[in-house]
Amino acid sequence: MFAYYLELAWRSLRRNKSLTALMIFAVALGIGACMTTLTVVHVLSGDPLPGRGDRVYRVLLDAEPMDSYRKDGNPLDQVTWVDGMNLLRDGKADRQALMTGGNVAVTPPDASLDPFYIGARYSTSDIFSLFGIHFIYGGAWTAKDDASRARVAVITRRLNDKVFGGANSVGRNLRVSDADLRVIGVIDDWDPQPHFHDLDMNTYGDSERLYLPLGTSRDLGLGHSGSTNCYGNGRSSEKELETQSCTWLQYWVELDTAAKRDAYHEYLVNYSRAQHDHGRFERPPNVRLFDVMSWLDYKRVVPGDVKIQAWLAIGFLIVCLVNTVGLMLAKFLRRSGEVGVRRALGATRGEILTQLLTEAGMIGLAGGIGGLVLAILGLWLVRMQPHEYAKLAHLDFTMFLATFALAIASTVVAGLLPALRACRVAPALQLKTQ
Amino acid sequence: MPMDILPILASLRRHKVTAILLILEIALTCAIVCNAVFLIGLRLDRIHTPSGVADNELIMVRMSNIGGRSDVRARTLEDLAALRGIPGVRSAAILAQTPFGYSGTTSSIKLSSDQKLPTISYVSTYFGEGVVNAFGLELVQGRDFSADEYHWLQDLNLGLPGSSPRSVIVTEAVAKRLFPDGNALGKDVYIYDEPSRVIGIVRHLVTSQEWVPGQEDYSMILPMRVSPDAGMGGTYVMRTSPDQRDRVLDAAVAKLKGLDPRRVLTQKSTLEKQRATFFSADRATAGWLIATCAALLVVTALGIVGLGSFWVAQRRRQIGVRRALGARRVDILRYFQTENFLLATFGIVLGMGMAYGISLFLVLQYELPRLPAHYLPMGAVLLWLLGQGAVLSPALRAASVPPVVATRG
Amino acid sequence: MLTMNHLAKVYRTEVVETYALRDFNIDVKEGEFVAVTGPSGSGKTTFLTIAGLLETFTGGEYHLDGMEVSKLDDNARSRIRNEKIGFIFQAFNLIPDLNVFDNVEVPLRYRGMKAAERKQRIMDALERVGLASRAKHYPAELSGGQQQRVAIARALAGSPRLLLADEPTGNLDTQMARGVMELLEEIHREGATIVMVTHDPELAARAQRNVHVIDGQVVDLTEEPRFHSQTSHA
Repeated sequence: MFAYYLELAWRSLRRNKSLTALMIFAVALGIGACMTTLTVVHVLSGDPLPGRGDRVYRVLLDAEPMDSYRKDGNPLDQVTWVDGMNLLRDGKADRQALMTGGNVAVTPPDASLDPFYIGARYSTSDIFSLFGIHFIYGGAWTAKDDASRARVAVITRRLNDKVFGGANSVGRNLRVSDADLRVIGVIDDWDPQPHFHDLDMNTYGDSERLYLPLGTSRDLGLGHSGSTNCYGNGRSSEKELETQSCTWLQYWVELDTAAKRDAYHEYLVNYSRAQHDHGRFERPPNVRLFDVMSWLDYKRVVPGDVKIQAWLAIGFLIVCLVNTVGLMLAKFLRRSGEVGVRRALGATRGEILTQLLTEAGMIGLAGGIGGLVLAILGLWLVRMQPHEYAKLAHLDFTMFLATFALAIASTVVAGLLPALRACRVAPALQLKTQ
Repeated sequence: MPMDILPILASLRRHKVTAILLILEIALTCAIVCNAVFLIGLRLDRIHTPSGVADNELIMVRMSNIGGRSDVRARTLEDLAALRGIPGVRSAAILAQTPFGYSGTTSSIKLSSDQKLPTISYVSTYFGEGVVNAFGLELVQGRDFSADEYHWLQDLNLGLPGSSPRSVIVTEAVAKRLFPDGNALGKDVYIYDEPSRVIGIVRHLVTSQEWVPGQEDYSMILPMRVSPDAGMGGTYVMRTSPDQRDRVLDAAVAKLKGLDPRRVLTQKSTLEKQRATFFSADRATAGWLIATCAALLVVTALGIVGLGSFWVAQRRRQIGVRRALGARRVDILRYFQTENFLLATFGIVLGMGMAYGISLFLVLQYELPRLPAHYLPMGAVLLWLLGQGAVLSPALRAASVPPVVATRG
Repeated sequence: MLTMNHLAKVYRTEVVETYALRDFNIDVKEGEFVAVTGPSGSGKTTFLTIAGLLETFTGGEYHLDGMEVSKLDDNARSRIRNEKIGFIFQAFNLIPDLNVFDNVEVPLRYRGMKAAERKQRIMDALERVGLASRAKHYPAELSGGQQQRVAIARALAGSPRLLLADEPTGNLDTQMARGVMELLEEIHREGATIVMVTHDPELAARAQRNVHVIDGQVVDLTEEPRFHSQTSHA
C-alpha cells in the first residue's frame, strides 16, 4: 500500500512542478541554514575530554584583596604560583596539575631546518594521566623531575615528525630556546576542541606541541603567554612571577567520585580560611570546582554570535515551515474533490491521511537532500572564514542523520494540519469544481 | 478607488486557516528581519570603528629572539636606525601593543592614591617610544612626551626606583570619563598607585585588544621604552605611504635578518590586514545575517505568490461573475492588492510584538542592546512593499480572468 | 439486498431542522434494477448517499446485504463501500491526474489486491465497457460517454454486490446516454443489482421497477400525494 502512496505523491508533486519546487526550495533553505549553524554550535560545544570530562575539575580560589571586593563576585580564573604550589604539595585530589603555556623557539638538530616558534605547555607531571593523554613512545616525567627541574620534554607526534622524522626520539636532545632538553616521551597529537585546559590560548585549532616541567620553564626563563592578572602591588614582571600577587597558572584536578568532589571542595574552603588567618587572603572563602563542560559553559566558550546565527536559522526554518504549511493546505484542500471520490470508493480516513502525509514526507526528503547539499556548501563557506574554529566545521554522521530526521519530521508535522483538514472531507457524489 | 474592506474581511474569514498562516509568516518575517537588520547595523558600526591611527600607512614586523640576549637594548636601537634608513619609511618605532591585536595590557586609573575602586578599571595601555608619531595620532590638546620622560619598561617591571611613568597621554574618551566636568590636561591621575600627569589628549586611539561595547577608545599611552625581551616583546611599527607597504615590509624583514640572523620572524603584516582579521568574525556574522534575511524575504515573497495563485485559481468563477456583473479589471486588481495589504498589516502588527519579544530574549541572553523603536516602522514598510510586490503577479492574473468564465461550470 | 425501514434523515442547523427523508421504506431484491425517481429536492439523492454509506442517517433501520449498518464506524463503512458497492456518478468523478487504468484501479488498491489480479480485473472491466484500448488515456482526452464508461468500469472492477447510479446520463447528450443505458441494462441482465436515481421518466421506464420519492418519502403514484410540512422550527 505504501508503494501506492509513494506513487500518488510522486504524481501529485509532478503535477504542480513550480509549487513543489517552491516547497522543496523553502524546506531545503531552512534545513540547510539550520544544519550549517547547528553543526557549528555542535562542533564548538563538543566534549573535549570524552569519558573523563565529568571527573576533571578546574579549581578557582579567591585571593584578591578586600578593596575591590563585591559580594557574589567570581574568583579569578587562574591561581598564583604560591597557591598552586600549596595545593600541589597537599595533593588532596586523585591527580592534580599546575600549568601554563608559552611560545618557545625550537632549533632542530638538522641544521638545514630554520629555528621556529611553537606553543608549549609547562606543567607538573600529572598532566598526562589527568587528561588521559596517550603516549606513543616513552612516558611522562615524574614528580621528582618536577622538583629537580629536570631538562626533559615530551613532544607530540607532529613535532616528532617534523624534527625527528617520526622515529622513536626518546633519549634524544631537542634544543629549546638556549637549552638542550632530553626527549622522554612522544604523545599522540592532543588538540582538545575547545582547548578547555587553557582558554587564553586560541580556543580552537591546534594545541601545544611541546610539554615540559613547569619548574624547568621557570629555570630556563621561558616566557609564559596567556593572561596575567595582578592585584594589590603585584607587578607582571616575568622574572619574578613566583612571588608576585598575580594569577597566571591553571590548576586542574581529578576527583573520581562525588564524595571526593565534596571533600575536595571542603578542603579548598578550609585552605582559603587558613590563608585568611595567615593574612594572605583578605576575602571570605570563595572557591569553585568546575567539571570540564560546566567550565566551558561558565566561560561561554561558544561565541554568542554563533548561537545568534543558529537562532536566526531556526527562526528562518520556522518561517519556511509556516510557508510550507500554507502551501500544502491550499494544495490539499484544492484536492478535496479527489479526496471525496476516493472516500466514496472506499478509502478510509486513515488511508487518505497516510497518502497526504507521504506526500509531505516526500517533500521533506527532497528538502532534506537539498538542505544537506546547502549545509555542506554552508560549512564549506564557514571553513573559508579565518576563525580559529573554522577548520572544525564538518558535518559528522550524527548531524548528517539529524538533517534528514529534522527535514522529514518538520515537513510531516507541517503537513499534519493540512492533511487532517483534507481527510475530513466527506465522501462525495460530486467532484466539487469550485 | 478605495476598496470596501468589509467584504474582503468576510471573504478572508472563509479561508481562516490559510489567512492566519500567511499572517503568521509575515509576522515572523517582520520580527526576525527587524532584529537581524539591527544586528547587522551593530556589526557594521563595529567594523567601522575609528582607530585613531593611520590605518593604511602602518606596517608591522615582529622578530623573536632565540634564547636570552644581553645586548637587546643596543640591538633595538640599531634595528630602529636601520629601519629608518629604508627608503619610503617615514617613521619607525618599537611598540609593545598595536591596535586590533589579540593581546594587550590593561591598567586601572584612580584619581587619588587612597581611592579603593578605580575610576576606570580597564584602560588599554600602550608602551613604546614615539607612539603618537608612529601611529599618526591626532593630538587635540597638550603635547607629546619629551625624550627625557621615557623609562625602560623592564625597569618598571623589576620595580627599579625612578622607573615609574610621571606623565601620560589619554584619549578624549578617557579624559571625559575621568573628568566629566573639567579639562583633564595637567591633572594628576594615579596609575600603578603613583601619580602621573596628563600631558596630552589624543582624539582617538582604539584599544589594543577586544573591548566592551562603548569602550573602544579607552586607551592611554605611557612613556615607556620597550625592547624585544620585555615580557610582552616588541613590534617594529613603521609608517610609509599606502602603495609602498609591501615593498617596505620585505625590505624591513631583509634588513632585520641581515643585522642578526639568529631570530625568528613571528609577524609581518600591515595594520589594514590586522584590522581585517580582527573584524573577520563580525564580517562573517553580518554576511550570514544579510544572507538569511534575504532568503527569508524571498521565501515569504514566494509564499505570498504561491498562496495568491491558489486563491486566484480557486476564485476564478467568482471573479468571472464579478466581471460579468460589471467589475473592471482594475477593481479585481485592487481587490487582491487590498486583501494582501490587510493581511500584511495584521502580520506587521503581530510581528512588532514578536520583534519586541525576540529583542528582549537577545538582551537577556546575549547582553545585546535593545532594538531601537525606529526599526519597527522600517520593517513595516519593507513588509508592505514585499507583500504588494509579491501579490502583483497573481492579482494581475486574476484581473485577466474573462467574464465568460461565469457562464462555464 | 437493500432494505430501509422507517428511515429518517434530518439536517439540523441552529434555528431549523430539515427532514430530507422521513419514514422512508424501500426493499430492493437481489438482481433487481430499480429506478428511484422524483423531482428536484425530493430526497432521492439523499437516499442514494445513505444507501451508499456516504452519509449516516438519523433514525430507522438500513440493512445492506443482510447487515445492519447504522452501528458501523467510519472505517467499516469505508470497507463496505469498497467491497460491496459500485458508484456511478452523474459527473463521472474520474480523478483527472490519473489515466483510465489508474482510475479503475483506485478501489482495488484500497482493497489491498495483488498487482496481477488488479491488472486482470481492470482489463476485464475495461474490455467490458469497450475501452480496453484507451487504458493509457487521461480523462480529459475522452468524450463524456467514454468517461462515464470508465466510471462504470471502475464500479464493476471490484465485483460489487450493488451498483448505485446517480443520474448516470445527466451530463451526456442523447446519443451517448443511450449507449451508457444499454451498458447498464446489459450489466443487469448478467445478474447485477442496480439502483439508479434519475428525474428522467424515459430512463426510469427502462428499469424493472420504479420507486417514486416526494418530500423525502416513497409514495405510491396511484394514491393522492399527502401534504407534508417540509420544515419545522426547533
